[in-house]
Amino acid sequence: MNNIGINYHSILPEAITAGVALLIMLVDAFMRRIERRIAGAIALAGLTGAAAALYTLRNQDGVTSFNSMIIVDDFRLIFAGIFLIATFLTVLISLRWIEDEQLPTGEYFALLMFATTGMLLMASANDLVMIFLGLEITSISTYVLCGFRRSDTRSNESAVKYFILGSFSTAFLLYGIAFIYGATYHAAATPVATTNLQLIKERVAAGHLFSPEMLFAGAAMMLVGFGFKVASAPFHIWSPDVYEGAPTPVTAFLSTGSKAAAFASFARVFILTFTATSLTGALSDLHSVATNTLAVMAALTMTIGNLVAITQTNIKRMLAYSSIAHAGYVMVGMAAADWKAVAFYLLSYVVINLGAFGVIEVIARRGDKQTEIADYSGIGFRSLGLSATLSLFLLSLAGIPLTAGFMGKLLVFKSAWASGFHALVVIAVINSAISWYYYLKVVVVMFFSEPQAEFKAPRVARSLIAALLLAIIGTLYLGVLPGRVLRALDQATDQLKAARK
Amino acid sequence: MIPLSWYLGLSALLFTIGAVGVFIKRNAITIFLCIELMLNAVNLTFVALSSYFGDMGGQLFVFIVMTVAAAEAAVGLAIIISIFRNRESLNVDEADSLKL
Repeated sequence: MNNIGINYHSILPEAITAGVALLIMLVDAFMRRIERRIAGAIALAGLTGAAAALYTLRNQDGVTSFNSMIIVDDFRLIFAGIFLIATFLTVLISLRWIEDEQLPTGEYFALLMFATTGMLLMASANDLVMIFLGLEITSISTYVLCGFRRSDTRSNESAVKYFILGSFSTAFLLYGIAFIYGATYHAAATPVATTNLQLIKERVAAGHLFSPEMLFAGAAMMLVGFGFKVASAPFHIWSPDVYEGAPTPVTAFLSTGSKAAAFASFARVFILTFTATSLTGALSDLHSVATNTLAVMAALTMTIGNLVAITQTNIKRMLAYSSIAHAGYVMVGMAAADWKAVAFYLLSYVVINLGAFGVIEVIARRGDKQTEIADYSGIGFRSLGLSATLSLFLLSLAGIPLTAGFMGKLLVFKSAWASGFHALVVIAVINSAISWYYYLKVVVVMFFSEPQAEFKAPRVARSLIAALLLAIIGTLYLGVLPGRVLRALDQATDQLKAARK
Repeated sequence: MIPLSWYLGLSALLFTIGAVGVFIKRNAITIFLCIELMLNAVNLTFVALSSYFGDMGGQLFVFIVMTVAAAEAAVGLAIIISIFRNRESLNVDEADSLKL
C-alpha cells in the first residue's frame, strides 16, 4: 500500500464546513460576545463555499481517495446538496431565535457546522469506518444541540434520551459492522478482511465469504442500528420525546438534516452494496430478506406514525409522529431499492418541514411556551401571513398536488409499484389519506375556531422571512416544475452500479 | 489455542448483558456504563477476528471506536450533569415531563 491516495479536493466540502466551525469558535473566543450576525454570516458563507466545492467535484465521478475511504459520485453530490440546503435553512431560522433566547451564539453555530461536516462525510463514505465516524460526528453534535437550553428540564430530558438511545443504536450498528468485517474474510485476497463497501460488494458477489451467516447477522444488526437512526418503527419510541423537548430549530434540523444523512448511509449500504445482482446462490436470499424486512418496517412505520399523530395535542409532538410517518414513506422507496426517489423525497421533505418548523418557532416564542395545538386557535386572521404559510407546508406534508410533498410521494409510490410492492403502495396511500386528518385539523383550528383574547401577532425577523420565502419557493418549485431536478436525478449514476456495467 | 468461537461467544454474551442492562437499570450513569460494555463487546469481536485473520484493519477499527467512545463519554456525562443540576436525581423514571 504505497499510494494512500491523498486528495484534498475530494474532501473540500467537508473541510470547508469543519474549518468554518473552528473559525466560528475562534471568533467567539476572541470577541467577548460574538455578534449573532457575524456568526450567522460566517456559517452561511461557509455553506455556500461548501456547495461551490461540491459543484467543482461534479466531473470526478468514481474517484476514490484516502485509501478508498472517500468516494466522489453523483449519489454523494446529490445527498450532500440536500444536507447543505437543510443546514442553510436551519441557520436562517435560528438567527433571530438564538438572540431572543439569549443562548451562546458561537457554540450553537459551531455545533451546527460540525454536525453538517459529519452528515457530509456520511454521504461521501466508501467504507464502514467512515460511515461510523460521520454518524458519530453528527450524533455527538446533535446530542449537545438537543440539550442546548440548559436550564429547561424538557431540553435536558430530550438530550439525555437522545444520547442514551443514540449510543445504544450506535452499538448495534458497530456490532453489525464487526460481523460484516468478519464475514468478508477471504484468504487469497488483499486485504484479507475488509470494511470497504466496494470490496464487500465484490466479495459478496463472488461468494468469497468467511461465513454467510455472519453476513446475515451483520446486515440484521446494521438494519437495527439504521432503523434507530432514522426513527422507523419499531425503533421510533425515542423520537417524539426528543423532538418535543429539543429547542424548535434543533428539532427542525434533527427531523430533516440528520435524518436525511442517516438515510443516505442506509441507502449506501442497503441499496448500493447489498444489491440483488451482486448476490449469487444462497446469498441471493440476503437481498430478498432485506427488502422484505424493509417493506414490513415501512408499513409499520407509516401506520404507527400516522395513527399516533392523530391523538397528539402538542404541535411539535404531532410533527414528530408525522416525521416518523414520512420516514415510513422514504422506506417504501428503500424497499424498492430506488435511491433517486429516496433523494427526491428527502429533498422535498427537508424544504417543507424546515419551513413548517420556522413558523412554529416564531409562534412558540421565547422558551417554546406556545406549542400546544390549542395555542393556534383563531390565529388565522390575526396573523394571516404566518398561518397561510404554515397551512401551505402542512398541506404539502399531507401531499396536496402541485407541491413538493405530492411529487415526492408520487415518485416513491411509483417506483415501489414498479418493483412489485403493490400491497405496500396501497397501505401507503391509505396512510396518506389518514394523515390529511391531523394536518387539516391544525388548519381548521387556526382559521375556524374562536380566537384567544391575548394573542398578538409575533414580530417576524427578516432572516426568518427569507427562510420561509425560500421554503415556499422550494415547495412550489419542486411541486409545479420538478422537471429540472428529476432530469438531474435521472442522469445521475452511482459508482457501485456503474462498475457493474 | 482458544478457538475463535469462544471469543465470539464471550463478546455476544457481553453485548447481551449490556443491552439487557440498558433496559432494566434505572440510573443514568449505570445505563451509560452498560452502553460502554456493548461497545467493548464489539471491540472484542473486532480484535478476535482481526488476530484470527492476521489482518490489522480490525484492530485499527478498535482504536477509532475507543476514540469515539471517549468523545461520547465526555458529552454524555456533561448532559447527565446538566439534568442532575435541574432535577437532583439520576433516576431515568423521574425524567417523565415528556410522556405521552
